[in-house]
Amino acid sequence: MTHIVKVAEGYSFIPREEQTLLEALEAQDIEVEYQCRQGFCGSCQVKLIDGKIEYTEAPVAFVSEGRILPCCCRASSDIIIEVPMTEIPPATGTDN
Amino acid sequence: MAYTTFNQNSFDATQEPMFFGQNVNVSRYDIQKYNIFEKLIEKQLSFFWRPEEIDLSNDRKDFMHLPEHERHIFLSNLKYQTLLDSVQGRSPNVALLPIVSLPELETWIETWAFSETIHSRSYTHIMRNVVTEPGEVFDDIISNEAITSRATAITQHYDELIEAVTLYQTLGEGTHTINGETVEISVRDLKRKLYLTLMSVNVLEAIRFYVSFACSFAFAERGTMEGNAKVIKLIARDEALHLTGTQHMLQLMAEGKDDPEMAEIARELKPEAEAIFIAAAEQEKEWAEYLFKDGSMIGLNKDILSQYVEYITNQRMQAIGFDMPFKIRQNPLPWMNSWLVSDNVQVAPQEVEISSYLVSQIDSDVDTGDFSDFAL
Repeated sequence: MTHIVKVAEGYSFIPREEQTLLEALEAQDIEVEYQCRQGFCGSCQVKLIDGKIEYTEAPVAFVSEGRILPCCCRASSDIIIEVPMTEIPPATGTDN
Repeated sequence: MAYTTFNQNSFDATQEPMFFGQNVNVSRYDIQKYNIFEKLIEKQLSFFWRPEEIDLSNDRKDFMHLPEHERHIFLSNLKYQTLLDSVQGRSPNVALLPIVSLPELETWIETWAFSETIHSRSYTHIMRNVVTEPGEVFDDIISNEAITSRATAITQHYDELIEAVTLYQTLGEGTHTINGETVEISVRDLKRKLYLTLMSVNVLEAIRFYVSFACSFAFAERGTMEGNAKVIKLIARDEALHLTGTQHMLQLMAEGKDDPEMAEIARELKPEAEAIFIAAAEQEKEWAEYLFKDGSMIGLNKDILSQYVEYITNQRMQAIGFDMPFKIRQNPLPWMNSWLVSDNVQVAPQEVEISSYLVSQIDSDVDTGDFSDFAL
């Protein structure tokens, strides 16, 4: 079951099923800060504005309400997220 | 109230706050107030490594070929990190164990401090391998003004908390006269000191370490001092976890469910906490200036490193709900992330190179002659 990830107005994509949300964002050339990629450092956190995600492993890092760790989760519905400090790449028309 | 190593009262530890409740009695983890601390302990144990696992024989040769000003950068960072881990290897135990009230948190503090002692031992391992006289380098730590001037800022809050807790345990709350001086002891004041201590620990783990990490990885980016970078990578992984532990403590305090008074204090001390961050960022920028006083290194100079300090200060402050004080929004050292990514410890050893399984069994001495009988 695939879901749409919307990062900004006018920019959404469908991640590949096997990817974590972080890998999916990177595949779209969206730069997200990361460090451990295992859910314990909290560097990659982004704001979840709408939708649901599912953790592949429960994060150890502190994540405040309304935020998620893309390194260890996948979208489980269509989601809207806000990625801090990033530039959205120009649309290529060849998503995935 | 005097400290007791085994509190004989019968009570439910899950009803105690993290700090300044009853002293812990049974180290039991069957019921826990905050099981996040057990998860941190397990994670930390899964990270276990020893310095001797990392082969540094190439680093010795690399170091001899470094120009003088780069040796200064390399050794100064090692000295500074030695200071930081000397503090972190003992202070959480001395300062926090007498006042902690939850068994899982007590064990996390001990596990955390223990892993810092591995870092300290790894600096000796690096020095022994890289320089002929490690003693001179270590001796300089307490006489080098650039380092000692920062030691005060790092230890000040710890020392104040330790002193106040000692007085509280011998004399209790109230106004006391000690050596002719009037001293006011109150639990609220102790809690304020605890909050500021944790905040300065947060800054140490979140910002101070990263300046030296950046330099170590900058050396390795150009293929030199790579053994050292492997050690630093393992240290960075541990520090990221310690930072998470400290952030959890601070957040539990700020929420107020654990101890409502602590939440009041967190609100009250927010400006002071922000000032601790900003002062540390300024000190680290001064340090960058000291590091590069005789010349920059390829890929890194004082300005970029200062920008990086501002960038991570923003990030760390945002993580605990503070405003970002600096303008910078883009990571000036994007290659840092790939160095900071943790080894995937869950993967089978034959699939990836896992540094925690290497016991100096790899011959890192590769000569071009070794490929002479290869044909393409």
